[in-house]
Amino acid sequence: MDCKKAERLLLYSLDGRLKPGEKLSLEEHIKGCSRCQRAEQDYRAILGRLKKGDTPEPLPYFKERLLAKLSQEEQALPALFWQRWATKALAFSLTALILLGAAFIAFRTPEPQELSQLETLLLQDENPLTETNYILEAKGLENRNMMLIFSSMEETDSARR
Amino acid sequence: MDEKELIRLSQEGNGEAFGQLVERYKTKVFRLASSWTQDRTAADDLAQEIFIKAYFSLPKFKSESEFGTWLYRIALNHIKDYLRKNKKRSREISLEALGGTGLAAENESSQEKDQTEEKRRALVQAVLQRLPEKHRIILTLRDIQGLSYDEIARILRLSPGTVDSRLFRARKKLREKLAPYLGREGGEYGL
Repeated sequence: MDCKKAERLLLYSLDGRLKPGEKLSLEEHIKGCSRCQRAEQDYRAILGRLKKGDTPEPLPYFKERLLAKLSQEEQALPALFWQRWATKALAFSLTALILLGAAFIAFRTPEPQELSQLETLLLQDENPLTETNYILEAKGLENRNMMLIFSSMEETDSARR
Repeated sequence: MDEKELIRLSQEGNGEAFGQLVERYKTKVFRLASSWTQDRTAADDLAQEIFIKAYFSLPKFKSESEFGTWLYRIALNHIKDYLRKNKKRSREISLEALGGTGLAAENESSQEKDQTEEKRRALVQAVLQRLPEKHRIILTLRDIQGLSYDEIARILRLSPGTVDSRLFRARKKLREKLAPYLGREGGEYGL
């Protein structure tokens, strides 16, 4: 038996948990090993002092004082309950508000944008160049220029709107 | 009255029944608290808080585990919280103040011997307080409170094998820390 195993068995022995077969071999080892003899001495001294430590009794009227405190706590409990409930409700409302806001931002439908003249024409499946062609084909040069100016002004106005 | 019946009545808010449970367990809980605080008043306050916590947690208690085991678990958790919160205020015994404890001389009076023995116990306690929490807990439960290995395993929710090896390491560590006080090989105080 080596000293490591002997130390473990020694502690079992001090705990009263040693098997009869182990007891003999431990005793034999300790007889011939000064190191384990010291270990036995040390453990007896240490564990003995731990076990024989103070055995204090509770202060007087322990139960009576406790029951008085309990009844006080129970009386304070409804107020405490509402206080806890209110705190939880506030936290819940704030979380719900934040989640609702986030959901609103994430899932909102984009606002319908006003279509330009060109887009309207394309949507109606009409050739957007028909009007321009008509202007360009106008015979009078002056008339053509005036029509082009008004047409571009209309474009700008619709873009501004 | 049967403990199960006392628990059932306490769960229904019967203070008298809970009072009987307190009577049964108050000394154990108080001594457990006392072994951590080293102060009777603080231990008394702690033990009261533990029972109050247990009373309000009773609706959650299921009879699958024993009441004593459940109560010890509450007590240990509460004590650990208390020690963390009061780290600075916790009363640590100075090793230097106790270190001068020598071997009891033959010519010492019985009163002197008692005082020396008391100092030695305090020295062991002081070193125990300086051990890591898990070692301190297991030594307190086994070597001070005298609980069985099975009870400790249930309270700490550990396997019996883990209790065994942790206890072995904790005792070894305690011996190592006390080596300077063991009165040989340079040990100066003779524990």
